[in-house]
Amino acid sequence: MGPLIDALPFSYTVSVIALGAAVLGLTAGVLGTLAVLRQRTLVGDALAHATLPGVCVAFIATGAKDASTLLIGAGAFGLIGALLVVGLERSGRTRPDAAIGVMLSSFFALGIVLLTYIGSLNESGQAGLESYLFGQAAGLVERDVTIMAALGLGALAVVAALFRPLKATLFDADHAAAGGLPVRALEVVMTALLVVAIVIGVRTVGAILMVAMLVVPAAAARQLTGRLAGVLVLAGLIGATVGVTGALLSAQSGLPTGPVIVLVGFLVVLACLLLAPGRGVLWRARKLARDRRRLLVEGVLIDLETALHGGPPPTQRELALASGRPRRALRRALRDLERTGALARDGERIYLSESGAASVHAVLERRDLWSAWLEHGWRLELPDAREPDPRDLRASLGDEHADRLRALAAEARS
Amino acid sequence: MSSDLVILLTAGLTATACGLLGPFLVLRRNALMSDAVAHAVLPGIVVAYLIFQTRAPLPIVAGAAVFGIICVLGIDALRSTGLVKWDAAIALVFPALFALGVIGISTYATGVHLDLDSTIYGEIAFAPFLSLDVLGAELPRTVVLGGAAVVANLAFVALLWRKLKTTSFDPQYAQAVDVSPARLSRMLLVAVAITAVISFESVGAILVVALLIVPAAAAHLLTDRLTAMIAITVAIGWVSAIGGLSFASAADASIAGMMGVVAAGCFVLALLAGPRYGLAARAIRRRRAGRRARVALGAAGEGGAAA
Repeated sequence: MGPLIDALPFSYTVSVIALGAAVLGLTAGVLGTLAVLRQRTLVGDALAHATLPGVCVAFIATGAKDASTLLIGAGAFGLIGALLVVGLERSGRTRPDAAIGVMLSSFFALGIVLLTYIGSLNESGQAGLESYLFGQAAGLVERDVTIMAALGLGALAVVAALFRPLKATLFDADHAAAGGLPVRALEVVMTALLVVAIVIGVRTVGAILMVAMLVVPAAAARQLTGRLAGVLVLAGLIGATVGVTGALLSAQSGLPTGPVIVLVGFLVVLACLLLAPGRGVLWRARKLARDRRRLLVEGVLIDLETALHGGPPPTQRELALASGRPRRALRRALRDLERTGALARDGERIYLSESGAASVHAVLERRDLWSAWLEHGWRLELPDAREPDPRDLRASLGDEHADRLRALAAEARS
Repeated sequence: MSSDLVILLTAGLTATACGLLGPFLVLRRNALMSDAVAHAVLPGIVVAYLIFQTRAPLPIVAGAAVFGIICVLGIDALRSTGLVKWDAAIALVFPALFALGVIGISTYATGVHLDLDSTIYGEIAFAPFLSLDVLGAELPRTVVLGGAAVVANLAFVALLWRKLKTTSFDPQYAQAVDVSPARLSRMLLVAVAITAVISFESVGAILVVALLIVPAAAAHLLTDRLTAMIAITVAIGWVSAIGGLSFASAADASIAGMMGVVAAGCFVLALLAGPRYGLAARAIRRRRAGRRARVALGAAGEGGAAA
């Protein structure tokens, strides 16, 4: 760790905190993804709460306050908690959500009892343990970070080694089991890895909020890519970034580390959910608005062509009456058309410019091609089963198939 | 009133208020939503305190209710985007709100009688020292508030009994006769938020979850009848209150935490020794069924040999 700490442009203490937070974010991001994709996130919440009594028991048993001893206790209780949650879920009567809730609150209550008991034994003893509730990055020392990094590297190595079977299990456990994979064992491995991530993080983020550190990176990364390897790598990067940013902010402001990291992470997730290309809420809304506008403009263009076909160039009022469109929509579409130079005006009356006529022609041809596709598309014998893009059929089918489609339609008409 | 009695009444009334709602949460599979809501009321308490500069119950209850609703609507909104699954939606929203509350408390803690410890496990030991002026009479504040929560929840459950029952057991039918399960779930969670914030002073925002879920889950293992389930839940709540109080003073540990541990003990007992769904009863039944099957098979085998 020494050279790495020297390489960072911060003071020694801040470098240790930043490194610790990076390790925590990286491992929580990657290993949390495995839980999020299986919809077992809240089991992580229960396990994080279960580490609290583990830390206390380790302290009572050994009297030691160094992080590694306490983390062994945390890990042991995390594993016990995991076994109990699964056992309770399988016991039949208790449903998964109640099983998780019972484990979470029971372990936490036990943790609080032990914590206050230790506090009553010894005034100074409790001070260190309380940081396991809300997290305290400031107490990290180099040795802790080295242990965290070693644990984290081991866990990441397991993920890398088991990548293919894990992938198969995540996407379709039944199919993976039918293919001969030991799905039960893989699920145990994933839960054990989750415990490792929690043990690494619980001191810095705290038992109550640790679950957020498992979900935030995965939820953010999932918006940005659909490939498992990509999600895992991105989740690790996002987790590390969030962890370092939050830990440094917290060290600077003196606020508890867990909440600051969680709020930073929440902002990152929110940004991804809103803006992610192709998926984000705002991105989809903008695309929808654009598609609607395009349809409106094309429709008005054809209305105008129809009116011109049947008589003298219409006024805007006449066009509104003939097309039955709301005034405002019509006005907006005409403004768009005017801007692209598709319209020409003769006083009140509107007619199409040369480029306007060309675009009417293009729109009509596209529509013809689309109805030909709907009617005769099945006769094309396309090389693959993908649905073509309805907005630009010619480009997504290719000229050859588009021409064949037109020929088929013409043949059927004659 | 002696101070022990005040503490016992506070604990018991809190457990009762939680016990009236818990069975519905467990039956509707809303247990984890109640956990989320109980965490999310924290910023509501802080905001109400900062705005009104008082610990009077009404503004704080209102603030908590607002944030409880924000939490539920936030989770629903996240889910409805289809971008994250329900569990991730819960795990994103409540930590963020709780973190906001914790930061609020640590920032404005000076001069505010809120601190992180009481957030987590309450300060029921101080219950005898706080009093509230009710119509000229000085009554212990936490007992009055706990009693109010019990009355409010009792009224809530009694008024909506039919609807709660229908939507808990057969949501599709309820939907068909125009009783929206989603709306009732939201109302239930607002009641949870209000109960959580009233219990906040006595058992803390997180341990209230133990009283909401654990006794109800234990009762669910013991009976099939809703009224019996509620009665058992409330009874387990009082057992937890009494047991928690005596064990806590023996071990010199947090009373609220010990209440949770006693409730967990009751759950384990119900899980092991429940008359019908308990693990022991099931094992016996399975063994008997196996023996009967073997006897029947043996008889069939002999019959086949004789024929």
